[in-house]
Amino acid sequence: MPPRIPSSGCQPQRLLNCLESVPPPSPVPLSTLAPRHRPTASSRSSPQWSSSSSRPFSTTPAAQATKLRRKFQEWCDKNGPLFRETNPGDTNYVSRIMPVSDNQGTEPDQPFPNNKAFRSEPVLSERARETIWWSVMVKGVPLKAVSAEFSVDMRRVAAVVRMKEIEKRWERENKPLALPYAYAIAKMLPRRDLVEGEANFEPINDIHVHSYTMQQLFVPASESREFTRADAAKAFGDRVLPPDAKMRIPELVQMERSIVEGTPPREARAQFIANAGASEAAFAERQRARQQGAEAKRTRVNTDRFEFRFEKINAEDVGPTGRARKAAGWRYGAPLMDRRRGEVKIPTRVE
Amino acid sequence: MVVKIRLARFGRTNKPFYNIVVAHARTARNSRPLEVIGTYDPIPKTDLYDDSGKLHKDIKLDTTRAKYWVGVGAQPTDTVWRLLSLVGILPPKYRPAGPTPSPSTPGQTSKA
Repeated sequence: MPPRIPSSGCQPQRLLNCLESVPPPSPVPLSTLAPRHRPTASSRSSPQWSSSSSRPFSTTPAAQATKLRRKFQEWCDKNGPLFRETNPGDTNYVSRIMPVSDNQGTEPDQPFPNNKAFRSEPVLSERARETIWWSVMVKGVPLKAVSAEFSVDMRRVAAVVRMKEIEKRWERENKPLALPYAYAIAKMLPRRDLVEGEANFEPINDIHVHSYTMQQLFVPASESREFTRADAAKAFGDRVLPPDAKMRIPELVQMERSIVEGTPPREARAQFIANAGASEAAFAERQRARQQGAEAKRTRVNTDRFEFRFEKINAEDVGPTGRARKAAGWRYGAPLMDRRRGEVKIPTRVE
Repeated sequence: MVVKIRLARFGRTNKPFYNIVVAHARTARNSRPLEVIGTYDPIPKTDLYDDSGKLHKDIKLDTTRAKYWVGVGAQPTDTVWRLLSLVGILPPKYRPAGPTPSPSTPGQTSKA
């Protein structure tokens, strides 16, 4: 048998006792369970309660500001004006006046003095973005060539063009732009114009290092054999690609090679732009063919309310066990793991 | 035993998703069928970047197998009949009121 708990000692009962005894002071002697401060509080405020129905103002003095809060206020009074105005072309980070310690200062691109790893990288200025958009959309230079010219990552170039296109469309449609917000944010961040002669904006041809290639490997090869980077990649694993296949703009390497071989730089550069344009055209063609292939497998039937899209599948794809993952439909006899812990169900990409 | 072409409901609460299955009529709805010939997602969807407001429904179907099973006498349920008639595998069963098209012209853009 479980131990019995006396009814007055149990928690809800105690709470109930407290609540019941708070309204007008009763002649009943307060139980020992009631809070200790109540007799004085109730005796002080009881006349007010009886005189007016509204709740009285508290006469308890406001809590004293803590020392930390006081020091924070002092700091704000002393240093706040320094940060009120931003200097054009300069960041306005608090690390400007806050060294981490006596012998360790902070860099100007370090917004948080204690976090050395957090560096605010410069962003493209409005003028730089306009230049990129102009090169791609008006002059018709291939993305790879623009990326190489300004030393801006290809993905960033593409993003800039997309955003600029939206911005310009909104301007044509007279949609309001959040320009004050954009200016305010831009003023706070380090910016870079893409001016000739400046340092590169960012590295553009970095490649991902496959973990298979981080190990030491001894491969016997005859002296007469020419062992290239492609061979090295194959030695590390069947799926490992050589660096030339992994880099974003392999045409740049071709250009440098042809310059070394004696082609005049101007000519090599023209060739590079032509190659980049050709590779982008091939990519667009592949994408178009893929879309066309998907569309060929689809029949669209329009009704009054909906369009029904029939996609042709092969029922045999379920395989001998009937559980192949690529087959259409929900699988029989295999649990669906969508309720498993840690399963990400938020869409992570936009088609 | 009668072989039917029918829907098997999967998905979650308020999120139906159907397998179009060929199964014996007396087996349970979600039991392992003879064959899964397609899927039907009844929730209408919009196209990304399309603001025309037209909704679409996605259906996957192995038309060859569907024709085969219809040919050997499998009996589609009304819903499956409607879907199969959209691609012209079967003549439409129920028609909206109005002029009745000849039975040889099934759905508007159907190819089969």
